[in-house]
Amino acid sequence: MSVKVEQIDACRWRLPREGAMRTDGLVFASRQMMAFLQQEQALEQVRNVATLPGIVGPSIGMPDIHWGYGFPIGGVAAFDADEGVVSPGGVGYDINCGVRLLRTDLEVSEVRPHLKQLADALYRNVPSGVGSHRKDLKLSVEQERKVLVRGARWAVEQGFGRPEDLEHIEEQGTIAGADPELVSDRALERGRNQLGTLGSGNHFLEVDLVEEIGDEQAAAALGLFSGQVVVTIHTGSRGFGYQVCDDYLRTMLHAARKYGIELPDRQLCCAPLSSPEGKQYLAAMACAANFAFTNRQLITAWVRESFEQVLGKGPAELRMSLIYDVCHNIAKWETHQFEGKKRRLCVHRKGATRAFPPGHPDTPAAYRHVGQPVLIPGDMGRYSYVLVGTQGAFEETFGSTCHGAGRVLSRHAAKKQARGHNVEAELAAQGIHIRAASRATVAEEIPEAYKDVMEVVGVVQQAGIGKIVARLKPLAVIKG
Amino acid sequence: MARAVNHYRLLEHTADIGIEAEAESFAQLLEQAAFGLRAVITEATDIQPRQEVVLELGAADREELLVAWLGELLYLFESRHLLPAAFAIEQAEATRLRARVRGEPLDPRRHPVEREVKAVTYHRILVEEAQGSWRARVYLDL
Repeated sequence: MSVKVEQIDACRWRLPREGAMRTDGLVFASRQMMAFLQQEQALEQVRNVATLPGIVGPSIGMPDIHWGYGFPIGGVAAFDADEGVVSPGGVGYDINCGVRLLRTDLEVSEVRPHLKQLADALYRNVPSGVGSHRKDLKLSVEQERKVLVRGARWAVEQGFGRPEDLEHIEEQGTIAGADPELVSDRALERGRNQLGTLGSGNHFLEVDLVEEIGDEQAAAALGLFSGQVVVTIHTGSRGFGYQVCDDYLRTMLHAARKYGIELPDRQLCCAPLSSPEGKQYLAAMACAANFAFTNRQLITAWVRESFEQVLGKGPAELRMSLIYDVCHNIAKWETHQFEGKKRRLCVHRKGATRAFPPGHPDTPAAYRHVGQPVLIPGDMGRYSYVLVGTQGAFEETFGSTCHGAGRVLSRHAAKKQARGHNVEAELAAQGIHIRAASRATVAEEIPEAYKDVMEVVGVVQQAGIGKIVARLKPLAVIKG
Repeated sequence: MARAVNHYRLLEHTADIGIEAEAESFAQLLEQAAFGLRAVITEATDIQPRQEVVLELGAADREELLVAWLGELLYLFESRHLLPAAFAIEQAEATRLRARVRGEPLDPRRHPVEREVKAVTYHRILVEEAQGSWRARVYLDL
């Protein structure tokens, strides 16, 4: 199906309101990206989101947009508190999938001789792949419920990390309003063995080198310098979140029928924000979001341990502090200026990152003069980016920006391209050490499977919805 | 009339994987889709019917029943690491399903895991019947 698209400028495209749409679509993309996008269903999904009741402003697609389920990946949509809806499909199965970045005081020359051992230690200490978990982390149901309510704070109380870590996590690592009574026994069961695990697919743990600084002032505020070693963690709420989403999709299919909401796609099923179903979903979603914050916090503790073991240095020498932790699959209550009025909106970001500007009260004090850090992973062979949020994002995209590179090849196509190549050896020759539980994952996650993230952040910067601070290059990659 | 063939194939998607199944009956369609799900998780076929689980499911229509069925198999894999070997579908109506699932727990040496499946989605979900031939399409979130 062809979707009507009008070019606004070099990196903005309007999908004009038509048919059942209640608003326009707005997609950030270069001309080349748009040509690619027109081959798949992501644009149709931007239009479908525009049909949902109570949407405020346009249905937005970020430059890393690709087709997802119901909402596109790379989609942002804000909904009015009274007239609007909440949709589990607008958050995704992996609730609060996100990225965190840890700094070190190490220069790459100090780490390179130990890189193989470091990759081995990280692979050993941080469980990845199906069925793998830490034998020394056994949760009772009671403890799991505390995780769901307290989030990363629980982990810090148990000795996993430091209190100051919490200051540098979106929502300080705890989304309010979580109610464990609203999650199923199944979700609790799936979550119990998967807390503190990386998972599989595109999730990863990376040791990176700060290759280039784009903004000296922001880099200094974030504690980044050229030649520095940093660590990126990308994972989410694991089976717990997938189950919460699955359970509530069923609730929402029923609710959409009950409230007479016309759906162009079942996966967009939703309920009014003011309805019991809507409120229950948000309380269950908060549990999953807190699970994910805890997950990344536990992994952080094991990353610090691994560095200490391999490099034989203590925490004071390594200075591995948390730069920031962002969610990129979430729905949140936020206050935004819209058409001159302050509005309380439920902002859905599915494969999109919050990017609050300098001066925003929700930006940590240390970064308030430069903006909220935004972490954009690329692929395992090229680079990732650190950005900060901008006033432009706050005004145009409800304080949101892209979240990653976005795939260009299907898994099958990637596997086909990887055939005959020893991907691990080829990356090792470039100085990138891969440790992965599954060979299929490595083949399906080859760098060529992804868009060049530089093009994605280039569009973001050109559009003014994010500002580049630093480029990171992978040195060691742990995958599931 | 040519006899319909029971089979499934995996569909390409930029980020994920779909399953398309064809069969002579709705019951066989569910079975084929289940084999498709298993093939996404592991390419291993040496799976023994050592354990049996009885499933009873209800849903609003055939499409939602297909999602519930595959979701249940995924849950058995996630919670008990159970890989299905064979199915005995005893009742498969538009809104109700009763089936016996036989299989064995994952043995990583014999059953290398290819991918982690997060969930079974309603995206472009399809179950249709034409002249005695059944077809289904379902996408998995990986």
